[in-house]
Amino acid sequence: MITPSEDGPDLEPDDPLAVILRPASGYLAPPPGGYEAIRRDASRRRVLRAAAGVGLSCVAAALIALPFRLAASDAPVSPTVPLAPPPSSSPSTPPTPSPSSSRPVTPSPSRNPSDSAPSAGPSVPNGSGATTEPTGPDSAPTPTQAPPSLEPSEPSTAPDQVGTSAESSTLP
Amino acid sequence: MKRSREKAASELFAALYPRLAGWCRRLVDDDETAHEIASEAFTRLWARWTNVSEPRGFLYVTAANLVRDHWRKLERERRAVRRVSDEVAVRPQNEQADPSVRLLVQSLPERLRVPILLHYYADMPIREVSALTGRKEGTVKADLHAAREMLRAHLRRSLDHTL
Repeated sequence: MITPSEDGPDLEPDDPLAVILRPASGYLAPPPGGYEAIRRDASRRRVLRAAAGVGLSCVAAALIALPFRLAASDAPVSPTVPLAPPPSSSPSTPPTPSPSSSRPVTPSPSRNPSDSAPSAGPSVPNGSGATTEPTGPDSAPTPTQAPPSLEPSEPSTAPDQVGTSAESSTLP
Repeated sequence: MKRSREKAASELFAALYPRLAGWCRRLVDDDETAHEIASEAFTRLWARWTNVSEPRGFLYVTAANLVRDHWRKLERERRAVRRVSDEVAVRPQNEQADPSVRLLVQSLPERLRVPILLHYYADMPIREVSALTGRKEGTVKADLHAAREMLRAHLRRSLDHTL
């Protein structure tokens, strides 16, 4: 059984390995100022490493905190969104269940009716003179006066005009 | 505190640098490169001074790795030159005159190279090598033995080639 000595080498003096493993100690003196230069480089590298570490930890902290922050910012928004629509939509829809179909068609002329409301009374004599667009829809609410033949003609023009006006306003 | 650390660093440099640089010169056969490698090893040591418990071993292992990188770089350059000039007979001019030392670092796997470097070149007893590498003393002895056998075989082969 081979038991190597504490020093390890089982090398004979004439062993070629001894040439490699016990080389003549060659010394190379450091260049002047070498020590200071190495110390400077080492401290610079240490500072750089510390800065890189701080930067990395900041990035990691930001990456960790960002999802929480985003979730937190979303949280207040989500309650407000559901709160807003119900009051506006629910009251509007119940009161206008049946007229809602005609009301949306005549919102723009409805401004005029307010102005021409007083003139709606005398609009009967102005029936021929009221060939202008606003009077068409205005005359629609007065079905009693107009014969059934007039009704389809006037409302048919009125929505067309509204539609065209709306389109013309929205197109550009 | 800082002064004592500075003094310890200065003493370590004075004690180890000449020997380490001399060893590097044997491997690269170029004073300037040897100084560069030894300086880089010390720079790496002091850049993480607080984390290194055994500076001597750290210096030698770092220097050996740097030397190996240097050889690889030389080899790449030589191959590139050969490719460009199409000359087969491009030989390194200044490379080390002692191929056996190069063989030591190049032919051994890292597992065997480190104990050899620490024990034979950094003059560390097996106990310290064991503590530094985290291997049992018996394992270190076995590694040294295996490394020597491998080196012997390489030497024999290179001698056969030269004859």
